[in-house]
Amino acid sequence: MFSIARLDLKRLCVRPFAWTLGAITLAVVAWLFLLGLNAFLAAQPKLAAEPGVLGYTDLVAAPHLLTFVQLSLLIAPLITMHAIAGERRAHTLPLLFAAGLAPARIVLGKFFAAISYLWLLLILIALLPLTLAHATSPDWGQFGAALLGCALCVAAFAAIGIACSAFASHPAVAAMAALLVVLVLTMLDAGARISGVQGGWLDYLALPTHLTPFMHGLVRSMDVIYFLLIIALSLALAARRLAAEKVRG
Amino acid sequence: MPSASPLLQLEHVSRRLAGRQVVDDVTFSVARGEVLGLLGVNGAGKSTTLAMIAGVLAPDEGTVKLDGRDLHDRSVRARIGYLPENVPLWPELTVHEYLDACGRLRGMDRAARKRSIDRELLRLDLSGMADRLGGQLSLGQKRRLGLAQALLHDPELLVLDEPGNGLDPVQTTQLRELIRTLSESRATIISTHVLSEVEAMCDRVVILHEGQVRFDAPLAQDRGALDRAFLGVARGKAGTVA
Repeated sequence: MFSIARLDLKRLCVRPFAWTLGAITLAVVAWLFLLGLNAFLAAQPKLAAEPGVLGYTDLVAAPHLLTFVQLSLLIAPLITMHAIAGERRAHTLPLLFAAGLAPARIVLGKFFAAISYLWLLLILIALLPLTLAHATSPDWGQFGAALLGCALCVAAFAAIGIACSAFASHPAVAAMAALLVVLVLTMLDAGARISGVQGGWLDYLALPTHLTPFMHGLVRSMDVIYFLLIIALSLALAARRLAAEKVRG
Repeated sequence: MPSASPLLQLEHVSRRLAGRQVVDDVTFSVARGEVLGLLGVNGAGKSTTLAMIAGVLAPDEGTVKLDGRDLHDRSVRARIGYLPENVPLWPELTVHEYLDACGRLRGMDRAARKRSIDRELLRLDLSGMADRLGGQLSLGQKRRLGLAQALLHDPELLVLDEPGNGLDPVQTTQLRELIRTLSESRATIISTHVLSEVEAMCDRVVILHEGQVRFDAPLAQDRGALDRAFLGVARGKAGTVA
């Protein structure tokens, strides 16, 4: 499993694509962070006059992390699209099977490689608001919860990307399918939210329902379980598809 | 010289793919030191048979055993080296990185990987291109690299699917010499649709047609029978010859 993760990370490291994608992501997020910070500083006199209003973590740090999650809707499918569909096209799957690696181990290895890349980006992005920690008084609990929520959310995106890669014959199809799935999960309850209706199973299935509490510093077990369920279900589907490939050809 | 006891045994192996019976009740065995040629026209079921021997595909029926042990066990698979028809390659890795990754996948430790990589680079004349990207190699070089990964863990059984495809005459001659040398200490199965390749490299030949074994005999016994059998198969007149 770790040999697969190591191999995939090595392949990511030598591809200009991963570096370019990472650089563009960091640049965009940094620029948006500066814009957010600027708006926060401009609003300081007004905020200071009202006691108990939202602070730096609510208005700058947490939205900054959320920006990365929004970009990950695109980044995760792009990073995971080659995971299995790419191996299939390069005829390297027989090499992995012949080495005696179980489908579940192959899938887990690829998942670990993908989340290592995404979490590394998340850590770099989280460093930006932390650079101002000495000048502000961040809510560390809330920041930690937001970071955990983002980490779980991008891991779920990666797992969905790997599942789509297992089912698709071409990496581009895998990326499109993964993008579609994560967009559906993200916008599932948009209609209900716009019309002000709350509750119901659509609400529960929708991703923002479970990510928003983390952003407010609230770590609820039902939200953690939601993300873990998405990850487990996606990886199980991918492993099942890979095992079927061995049995069905 | 082939040893008397078989290393690999296929018994009544069958396999369907996409609703078609690709391999149908195939039974044969291979002994240590023996080079077996799996001969057949395109679509005869050679690659599917080899994929089942390598553990890449599971048979629908029948058993594939190495030294009497089932292929489900990873330690058994570690004794098989497999070169598929399409060379499996990560083009963004260098030759050395690729072999190192293959060694890791096979569970080899650092010292064993280094030793094996040096040995195979030298044996397959790849030492000068250890730092070249896999994607930049010629077809012949890719085939040699594919063979290097199959040999990396020093397998007892070598399974080569159309190893001569795309090679020029000089490379083909070198490959034949190499396979003869390698086969002295292991069992080797080579699939091909080229009769001269079988005649140049193999001790025994199995002709597959429409997924069934139509001929199985040592090569030295009767080369005329092999020619007749293969031509009969190619012209669609084959019955079971041996």
